[in-house]
Amino acid sequence: MSEAAGSARRVPKLPLQALPWLPRPVRKMREHLAGLPADPLDALTAMRPLAQAGWDEGELRLLGRKVRGILKSEASSLKAEARKQGLVPLHLLLLSASTANHLGDALIGTAIRFGVLLELTIVEYEEPEPWIERHRSALKENPPDFVLLASDSRMLRLAAPLGEEEASSQAVDLALGQVMRIAEVARGATGKPVILQTLAGDVDASQINIDLGLPGSARYLTGEFNRRLAVEVRRSGHLLFDVNGLSNLVGQATWSAARYWYAAKYPFAAVMIPLYAEHVMRILAAQMGRSRRVLVLDLDNTIWGGVIGDDGIEGLALGTGSPLGETYAALQRMALSYKERGIILCVSSKNDEAIALDAFRNHPEMILKEEDIVAFRVNWDDKAANIKAIAEMIDLGLESFVFFDDNPAERKRVRDALPAVAVPELPEDPSEWISVFQAAGYFEQASFSREDQLRAGFYKANARRAAQLERIGNHDDYLRSLEMTLSIAPFDQPGRKRIAQLISKSNQFNLTTRRYSEAEVAALQTNPEAITVQARLEDMFGDNGMISAVICLQNNRQWEIDTWIMSCRVLGRRVEEAILQHLVQQARAAGALHLIGRYVPTARNALVRDHFEKLGFRRIDSQPDGETTWQLVISEYRDKNLPMTIEASGSSGSGSASAA
Amino acid sequence: MDTTPNNASAPELILARLEEIFRAELDDDDLAIGMDTRQADLKAWDSLAHIRLISGIESEFDIQFSIAEIEQISSVRQFVDAIRDHLP
Repeated sequence: MSEAAGSARRVPKLPLQALPWLPRPVRKMREHLAGLPADPLDALTAMRPLAQAGWDEGELRLLGRKVRGILKSEASSLKAEARKQGLVPLHLLLLSASTANHLGDALIGTAIRFGVLLELTIVEYEEPEPWIERHRSALKENPPDFVLLASDSRMLRLAAPLGEEEASSQAVDLALGQVMRIAEVARGATGKPVILQTLAGDVDASQINIDLGLPGSARYLTGEFNRRLAVEVRRSGHLLFDVNGLSNLVGQATWSAARYWYAAKYPFAAVMIPLYAEHVMRILAAQMGRSRRVLVLDLDNTIWGGVIGDDGIEGLALGTGSPLGETYAALQRMALSYKERGIILCVSSKNDEAIALDAFRNHPEMILKEEDIVAFRVNWDDKAANIKAIAEMIDLGLESFVFFDDNPAERKRVRDALPAVAVPELPEDPSEWISVFQAAGYFEQASFSREDQLRAGFYKANARRAAQLERIGNHDDYLRSLEMTLSIAPFDQPGRKRIAQLISKSNQFNLTTRRYSEAEVAALQTNPEAITVQARLEDMFGDNGMISAVICLQNNRQWEIDTWIMSCRVLGRRVEEAILQHLVQQARAAGALHLIGRYVPTARNALVRDHFEKLGFRRIDSQPDGETTWQLVISEYRDKNLPMTIEASGSSGSGSASAA
Repeated sequence: MDTTPNNASAPELILARLEEIFRAELDDDDLAIGMDTRQADLKAWDSLAHIRLISGIESEFDIQFSIAEIEQISSVRQFVDAIRDHLP
């Protein structure tokens, strides 16, 4: 502890709008852009690491402009090439009644940080509804992937006489009705959920204490509007962008800049643009299944104060009794709160494993317990290698990982070795870590389902299954020993949230990577052309939850598999064979002749390149971009003896068929 | 007399940094500006570019223009003078 108190160089504290969790930029953006490779694809790929730094608004705009320049001058095949490199093209329509064009290039630059090539259509100074009406056919022809309705209180003209509750409620109804109507019209035109913004509190409004409870006051009206908007968004399956939360986070007085509003109708201060853009991209990334899911923690001086190997259990700063101890306890509580949201907690630390586990088992103030941690890698090996080993062990890609470590050298080492892993920069003072980490928003969620609460348990049970396999040796005997039951049903209302989540999050076992929103999933339930499958898997170690979703579209006597997704948790359990068998039985009963499958390659789904081949399909087409089409002749399929009980319900098939 | 501390506020140094900002915000890598360049001389320096210049300059020099300055500045010389007023 001795060296901590008065050490040398102090770094000034960064405000949250400077995105302090990102490494600080080295040199000017201009110099980086001048040094980019001439080949457009190479240039775009090289921008991705560049975009990981905390650039200010002007620099981000330069980056965005460069991206725009490259995309404008190059053939459309560039986008397909970029997609293979993990840069996904996405088209966003931004509707604003105030200025919005100034956000464009910063959004495009920020999108690169998220591996997205953003194409923008910006509509500003316009009432969104008539604009959509006028452009309805163009929107149908070339629909944006997402719509952002950047509304603000000026556009909604929320107003009512002071003290009039009835009139206030009507004013909120009216504004809410306007926003939701725009959202529905936009969804009707694009088929996609719309991102709706809460209203930032107005720093120029009266700051009288009674206003929060005074109908008609600005604070009352925006508060009511925001609360009801959140409910409405959840009910209708749109997406919420809590701009008010963002403004509160940095402070209303910092968020808004009257100068910029009066001079150019900027809805908020220009220095806030990087933070705003980062949030827009987080929401989109979550919809694309690109949120992070694993938090890997260091131990010494990260989740407790001190070095356990030197200080021993008694010497650690942790828990009540010291300010530093309280700080580390709070950090552990934060980690635990993410476990409850479905984030997988792991440990990577340079330590003696027995000594480190001793702290987990025997320190009375430990909030994180041994069973909260899905994987421990406590040894003297390189941390990057350990994180890689964890990724293999729990079967999730490195792009799902966040690594939390107090040591700047370790952070840099992991960042350099594993660029896909997010490694937050941290302030020197550990009491500031939590706020910075929370603001970094790595675990943005598209929705919250029961599966999220149970996820850590799934991964723990998998570790026990691995032990069983090791004991039994023979894979088929092992599968039989698991006593698996696969329950298959068409999409239904109770399963909808989880189905939408699987569709938005699965990247590896995903044949076509088509993303559907919750509302689109709901529409499939009643679509007579669609045959849908959701499957749950249970075994002696517990319920794996819903682990697969399939969408087939009937095209005369041919069934086309539009979507086939499975959770990687149940790889190697022959679930895909059981699901195929179910599909074939249904297709046969309906008189179909063929099943058609398609594999659309992405940067992340190589795992399923041979999926259809393994299932006995014949290849009937293959494109230069790697897309392949496969056919299975129903009459040639022979039922298999699978090591599980299959329970099918609510389908046109045979009710319950056991094949074990 | 002028060793180091006030060098940053020397007009020619400010002008050089301004030129980079003008090139970026007006999207013209070859743009050359001088003290006597006026808004009327540059077609790209419209009202939207003006506010981008304001925000680019504010972040480059870590200063804050007043609403009156935002309205009145219409030449490079005025920018340089205003920046010098704001620099410590």
